[in-house]
Amino acid sequence: MKLISTLLFLAISFANAEWIEPPARSHRGYLVPTPDYTPSFPRDHGAHPEYGLEWWYWVGHLETESGNQMYGFQSTVFRVAGDPDEPKGQGFASFGNQQLFLAHAALTDGNNQSYEHTERVARVGWQASASRDSLELRVAGIEASMAGSGSVHQLISRYPDGGRLELELTPTKPIVRFGDRGLSRKGDGPASVSWYWSYTRLLAKGTLFYKGKKQAVTGIAWMDHEISSSQLGKGLAGWDWTCMQLDDGTEVKAYRLRKDDGTSDRWSAVYWIDKKAGVQGVYADKFTWDEEDEWTSPTTQLCYPTSVKISASHPTRGPVSYRLRPVLQNQEFLGNREDNAYWEGACEVLDEDGVVIGRAYLELAGYGGGLGARLN
Amino acid sequence: MLSPSRFQLVWLLLTRMTFRHWRSKGGHYILLIGIVAVGVGAFNGIRQASRSASENFGLFNQAVSGQSDFLIESPVQRLLEADLVKLSTLGLDPDWHLVPVIEGSVTAVKTGGVDKKQLRLIGLDLLALGNLPTLAQESLRFSDEDANWYDWLGHENEVWVGQKLADQLRVGVGDNITFLASGRLAKMKVRMILNDPDGNLPDDLVLGDLPTVQSLLSRPGELNRVEVVINQLDRREDTAYLGNIEKRLNQLLPVNLSLSPTQNRAADRSAMTAAFRLNLTILSLIAILVGAYLILQALDAAVVRRRAEIATLRSLGVDGSVLFATYLMEAFVLGLVGSIAGVGVGQVLALGAVSMLADTVNALYFATSVEALTLTSLDVIVGLVLGLLFSMLAGWLPARDATQTPPAQVLARGDWSPGFSWLRKPKVGIGLLVLGGVALLFPPFVMQAGSNMPVGGFLAAGCWIFGSALLSGHVLVLLAGWVRPFCMGPVARLACSRLRDGSSRHRLAVAGLVVAVSMVTGMFQMIDSFRGTIEEWFDVRFQADLYISESGVTGAGSVNGIDPKLMDELLKDPNIKYADVMRICYAKPPKGVTVLAGVDLEHWRDRARQIWLKMPGSLKVVDGAEPALVSETFARRFGVLSGGVVELETPVGRKRVSPLGIFCDYGNEFGMAAISAKVWTDWTGSNRPINVSLFLKDLSKLQETRDRLRIAYPGLDIRNERELRDVALGIFEQTFQATNALSLIGLAVAFAGLLLGLFSIFDESTQTWQTLKHLGFSTSRFVLAAGLEGAGIGVAAWVAGSITGLALGWLLVFVINVQSFGWTLLWTVPVESILWFGALLTGVGLFSGVISATYWNFRRR
Repeated sequence: MKLISTLLFLAISFANAEWIEPPARSHRGYLVPTPDYTPSFPRDHGAHPEYGLEWWYWVGHLETESGNQMYGFQSTVFRVAGDPDEPKGQGFASFGNQQLFLAHAALTDGNNQSYEHTERVARVGWQASASRDSLELRVAGIEASMAGSGSVHQLISRYPDGGRLELELTPTKPIVRFGDRGLSRKGDGPASVSWYWSYTRLLAKGTLFYKGKKQAVTGIAWMDHEISSSQLGKGLAGWDWTCMQLDDGTEVKAYRLRKDDGTSDRWSAVYWIDKKAGVQGVYADKFTWDEEDEWTSPTTQLCYPTSVKISASHPTRGPVSYRLRPVLQNQEFLGNREDNAYWEGACEVLDEDGVVIGRAYLELAGYGGGLGARLN
Repeated sequence: MLSPSRFQLVWLLLTRMTFRHWRSKGGHYILLIGIVAVGVGAFNGIRQASRSASENFGLFNQAVSGQSDFLIESPVQRLLEADLVKLSTLGLDPDWHLVPVIEGSVTAVKTGGVDKKQLRLIGLDLLALGNLPTLAQESLRFSDEDANWYDWLGHENEVWVGQKLADQLRVGVGDNITFLASGRLAKMKVRMILNDPDGNLPDDLVLGDLPTVQSLLSRPGELNRVEVVINQLDRREDTAYLGNIEKRLNQLLPVNLSLSPTQNRAADRSAMTAAFRLNLTILSLIAILVGAYLILQALDAAVVRRRAEIATLRSLGVDGSVLFATYLMEAFVLGLVGSIAGVGVGQVLALGAVSMLADTVNALYFATSVEALTLTSLDVIVGLVLGLLFSMLAGWLPARDATQTPPAQVLARGDWSPGFSWLRKPKVGIGLLVLGGVALLFPPFVMQAGSNMPVGGFLAAGCWIFGSALLSGHVLVLLAGWVRPFCMGPVARLACSRLRDGSSRHRLAVAGLVVAVSMVTGMFQMIDSFRGTIEEWFDVRFQADLYISESGVTGAGSVNGIDPKLMDELLKDPNIKYADVMRICYAKPPKGVTVLAGVDLEHWRDRARQIWLKMPGSLKVVDGAEPALVSETFARRFGVLSGGVVELETPVGRKRVSPLGIFCDYGNEFGMAAISAKVWTDWTGSNRPINVSLFLKDLSKLQETRDRLRIAYPGLDIRNERELRDVALGIFEQTFQATNALSLIGLAVAFAGLLLGLFSIFDESTQTWQTLKHLGFSTSRFVLAAGLEGAGIGVAAWVAGSITGLALGWLLVFVINVQSFGWTLLWTVPVESILWFGALLTGVGLFSGVISATYWNFRRR
């Protein structure tokens, strides 16, 4: 615990890193994350309403005490800032117009090959709130809270038909800060940067109320907290993203920022997190993201490359590759908006020989179009 | 059961014989069909119109957010945002959506070509609407440019309207609509015209983001209700699933709020207006009832007219059952054609009646708006069944008559007709009158919303009307007998003799008219009594110098009240000596709904003038209960006429009120309990006045004060006693519009029936007239005799109808009104109106006689 409470930020070296100084504000007028910022926790686990976009994201793999049942879960809370020109402090307590929240909760039942998900949109007020002082989120069906100054936190996610997952999440590694000088770059635009902090390995323990049954569950989870004001650079259509938790105690995070023409943006990256939360990474020219199989949604007719092979040149270990295979093909998250569907699902990680070496979550976003416009 | 060959014979007789008669008397049968059509039409029209006017139930947001499954409400039907915070845990569950709603009536002041228009301002969380599976996303876009989510909410005073309303008010995007709400004059800006290709949006709907509407209505932090929409719409029919959802919702529901299926609200609202709708339905049956009399009369006349034909057919071996079936079939065809036409007539009448009824429902019960008239297959079936049933019943007796009359006897007796023997026997009529008296002993039936249905009263009314109709023939004979000795000249004597003979045709003509006359006399009497009582009540009750209320809102169910800050400001006027501020809200008694008022109890008890049924202090207040002055309706509904306790649910829990006095009040039929304003505020958490009565220091400055306040507060109606009386009586007249219209329809049908009846009578007396003509009786004398005969029928109908009408008036005032609405009226007999009605009936009778005789004479030539 001492280790965890002592924040450890490691410098990350990139072969191709090019520094672009971010502006103070985005073109919409929101603050832009600044370089060399040293976050202060637990305050920075809370909301940053002066910034345009922010999300809290948890994924993980769970199993019941007997080990018979396998589940994957995803719980995400997005925050989108309101009109920057609107005078602050205006509006109404229950129906504020300063912040918009989205709550996405999904549960993958590996044994029964089923997938439940739900989305809610809420403005700040009686159905959505996020503390600025600590992790204290309450957005539609998702609640997250962190007691005191520790890093152990509670997460409650709700699913259709009375389903509910209550987890206590305990980091086993310190929080990791990604990017050069503390800024994760998402495109050539100077404002396309974010503060990107992750707990890459959390011990998860709790209770799942599902299909009328109450089950004790344990597992490993991952948490991201990202803050920006212009998430995607111009000309980007979406991204493919994954977090892998390997059996050897290390983690890999990789993402491909897809351009409108289908190629990968140069700021696409792979990060390796070692057992002590040390981070190394490479940009697009040092890895490939190959689509090995695809799945077409019967609902949206969107085609997602759900089986991929990521081959990269590790800065010290040389070439490595990871194959991701979904535990269930239909893990498509259907939003309220027609163009808001994306695929986010539990996967297994295989090595070159087809041996399972870990578990992952894979996100395939922007295949329905429209995402770039909303995250610029 | 007729065999196929007999059926063929019936068909042959119908086509060759019956329809030939129809052709020769086309006008006669067209009029008869028209009467059936009006009868069925009146019934159907009222049915459709009252459904369209009252079934909206105030959930106007449904056009936008779709049908909800449950409603979360507070006992006073007003929630605060603090309640919403308590509901936030409930809102976490993905199995349902909570939709907070605020709604209010506002009045758009002169805009475009419209002088004033009442608008329904609805506030919803426009952003959360996107979560709803029911949202008609295709057509309802709140912003052209959707990249910025906050564009969907609009700014400050921005609202959305449908194209129909924009056209009516002649406003476009960016234009302002000036309106009155909560006593304030304000403006709202049209942000966008909602695309509504299917025309689902009511033409009075103005939509805004919830906080915007709270601000526009000057009701910050207030909500009307929270609706619950289940997420899985495909399971709406699954009662077990819904039951489980209801159970889960109830587990987390704060104690001061209640949850009920939305359809219960529809049922509650339906029950609230049940008595009103039943009254209308019964009234709408007058026309159909009179129509049935007329069919009876017409077919009976046809049997007599065709007696030679019947005799010949009987002689040729056609047996009675075939003739019976033929005449019954004729009634069936009359009923069928009339009923089909009636469906169309009903549509026309419904179009005319619907806004009238919506105004009444708005004024008396709850906020409603007119929904598009819909003719359902059930309407068509009910209309057809009713028309056919009455026609067949009416055709039964003449058909039997045709069967039973021996041919030789008919042929031998010339124009003699045996008629209906039962019309000559007073036993049935007297029996019905007695039965009506006995029915008065029946207790009222308690309906779902807690209102009472005076079953015995209605039964008595029916028995008395039918009984008097049956006895009216005797009145005719009696009157003719009395008048005959005073008749000078052959014309009058002839008319009198014929009336004194009292053929069944004459008796039927009187009976048909008596039904209409008695009901109209009774209704007019009740309306007059009501008017008189309200005027008396006004004289006593309204003694203040000025009366203030929210401007533009006239309905009982659509009030926003007055902004308390505005009221505080107004009450600082230097010429105000005392202000009697009244606050009201709905409250939930054990059954139905009632009104809880917050008043200056001391002023009401000691100084305000009331018509007291029980003086304050005459009833002992139960220990521990809140003392209240209650209305007569309240006392009767909850059985506290002699004191006692009534439990009411309030936002702070169940509270007990105990009457210390009972006053007469004619404001609503749900009753009212007035408690001290302070306690009212404690119980309801509100301080919003509904109206204020001002007593001035210097009365010589009354007009000056009124004008000054009017200029300073353009959003308030500030009236003196005379002006208030005019407005109240205007609302009163409005509520009886439909009743008056139906009475007039019934009367018109009865007059048309009189015309038909007289024509049949003359037709039947062909031989008599021809003999008289040969004896030198001129055409003008014949026409005059006919006129006198018609006038005699009119007089007899008036005498019998008025006597019955007086009894009905008593019944309506002292039984039906007391049981239905719980108020006692001062019985007023409009003698002058009754006398004028008599003159009208005599005149119409005379005129009908002259017209029928002239027409008959013209045809004979």
